[in-house]
Amino acid sequence: MLEIIRIHNELLGTYGDRGNADVLKYRAGLRKIKARVTDISYLDPLPATGDIYLLGGAEDAAQLLSLTALRKGSILKKAADRGAVVLAICAGFQILGSKYVTRDEEIKGLGLLDVVTTPGDKRLVGDIAIKSELFALPLTGFENHSSVTTLGADTQPFGRVIEGNGNGVAGLDGAINKNVFGTYLHGPVLARNPEFADLLLERAVGSAIASVDDELAVRYATWRRSLLK
Amino acid sequence: MLSPRLRFAIAVAKSASAASKLVGNKGETLPGRILLAIEPEAISLLAAGKEVILISGTNGKTSTTRAVASIVSQLGEVATSGSGSNLAWGAANALMSPASFAVLEIDELHLPAIIAQTDPSVVLLLNLTRDQLHRMHEVKRVADRWHVECTEASNTIFVADIDDPFINYATVNAINVVRVSFGGRPHPDGAVCPRCGSYLTWLRGNYSCTCGLTNKISDAKFKKGSAAYRNAILANVVGEVVDAPPIEFTEIQLERTVVKDFAGKTAHFRLTKNPASWTEALSAELHHEVILVLNARQVDGIDTSWLWDVSFAALKGHSVIVCGERALDMAYRIHVEGVEAVLANSFEEAISLCKGSDISVLCAYTAFFELVM
Repeated sequence: MLEIIRIHNELLGTYGDRGNADVLKYRAGLRKIKARVTDISYLDPLPATGDIYLLGGAEDAAQLLSLTALRKGSILKKAADRGAVVLAICAGFQILGSKYVTRDEEIKGLGLLDVVTTPGDKRLVGDIAIKSELFALPLTGFENHSSVTTLGADTQPFGRVIEGNGNGVAGLDGAINKNVFGTYLHGPVLARNPEFADLLLERAVGSAIASVDDELAVRYATWRRSLLK
Repeated sequence: MLSPRLRFAIAVAKSASAASKLVGNKGETLPGRILLAIEPEAISLLAAGKEVILISGTNGKTSTTRAVASIVSQLGEVATSGSGSNLAWGAANALMSPASFAVLEIDELHLPAIIAQTDPSVVLLLNLTRDQLHRMHEVKRVADRWHVECTEASNTIFVADIDDPFINYATVNAINVVRVSFGGRPHPDGAVCPRCGSYLTWLRGNYSCTCGLTNKISDAKFKKGSAAYRNAILANVVGEVVDAPPIEFTEIQLERTVVKDFAGKTAHFRLTKNPASWTEALSAELHHEVILVLNARQVDGIDTSWLWDVSFAALKGHSVIVCGERALDMAYRIHVEGVEAVLANSFEEAISLCKGSDISVLCAYTAFFELVM
């Protein structure tokens, strides 16, 4: 049973990222891989045994609450260290970093990614497309944030920005550290880009998974890519 | 007495309105824009001689404004904004009327400025949930702006549905507030206290925070019910504040529903534009055949990610057709939830594919206006 843990959706669910869990479960099902989505609220302890952990975008106060809860016991960090898959979007990506800075304070992050987030000077809102070395075709999504994220010297970006802003620094989006993925792409990103969902499933299962023919998913992803400027 | 400049501005705006109607527009946006271009102070100057009532919130603004206008019209002539014309120029256009009352629907982001300019006697605040986030950015950001303006507006009586924590927070420091509760209801974006940032404690739709924000202490309490029912009550609370006799509304009158015939088939349109209104619409009775129309223009919200926050499970067993500019976003969203739809290239094609005589149409904002208004 593939355990998909959707973390604090009541806090990290502002921008529709809860759909990432639904797409993973659906695409696992197409391969007869049994998967279960477990919602973990702010008040629940985070299970240590998850295969895939998901974090989404949030408003500021909610982001801080989520981070405070996730610090307890460093469970997410330990899970990532043993190779669990972590996908974090926007505010979720920011709290995985070494720190993030608000207008009022500097906050220590969870340390899964060597990145630092600071306030930007304008809101970055709109369609975004990136090219990641992991995929043959560009990934599309929607971004809506005002902070910018700088990568540490040895940190690998998730992709290069083709359209939009991403991290807002150096034309890059997101960051990767082994099976930990951070990105600014909403959409939800796994609905818009099924090949990314499949990569996460493969990493979680630990071996290649069968290819599937979900004509509607391909048609949708292709159409959204065709809208790129 | 109106200033010469204001009189000139009104004259130009009115002739523009007539011209605009001649070419088939509703004639509400252009004259208001002209009025404000010639006399930027027009809204406050025109509001000065009137009793102004404003209505705002994410969902239910237009129908509730209509209800308040009919209640207040028992007291005298009422100037009111037309369907959805809720930005500054819509207000300016309505205020040109000589009526002694003005009942205006106001966009959430424009509300603070319009309160400051019109010094309203009553403001009705319905609800705040996620909508058009590419423009609003965050619900809390809108609530913060309201909070500042509501605290300042000392002449205004606020009628606030405090079952919504954002509405309660917006008016928590206002001087005159009628706090209305319907016994609580869950809020899709209400996990965090908008006032202090703590995790809100929710129990059966009622919330309380360590900072004291709660819906358990209200001035008027009513039983639970649908959004349409609540808005009818809230409209009558406004009526009570201005001493107008109550009017009984049916829920249908307060729903954004329009029935229209298409070649012998009856389409029952319902406006669905954000997670809260979709969830409300999907909880109601639907015909066997359902058409979903999705666009993503500015007022629809250009990002469709929020579709994933709505459960479409109620559509299982129905015959579903999807159309609109973002039909594929919708088709794939419901596909993952186990609802397979037929894709149509246009609404006309969708309705021609239907076999029955009555069809439910759940419709995005811009499509709703194009198809039924």
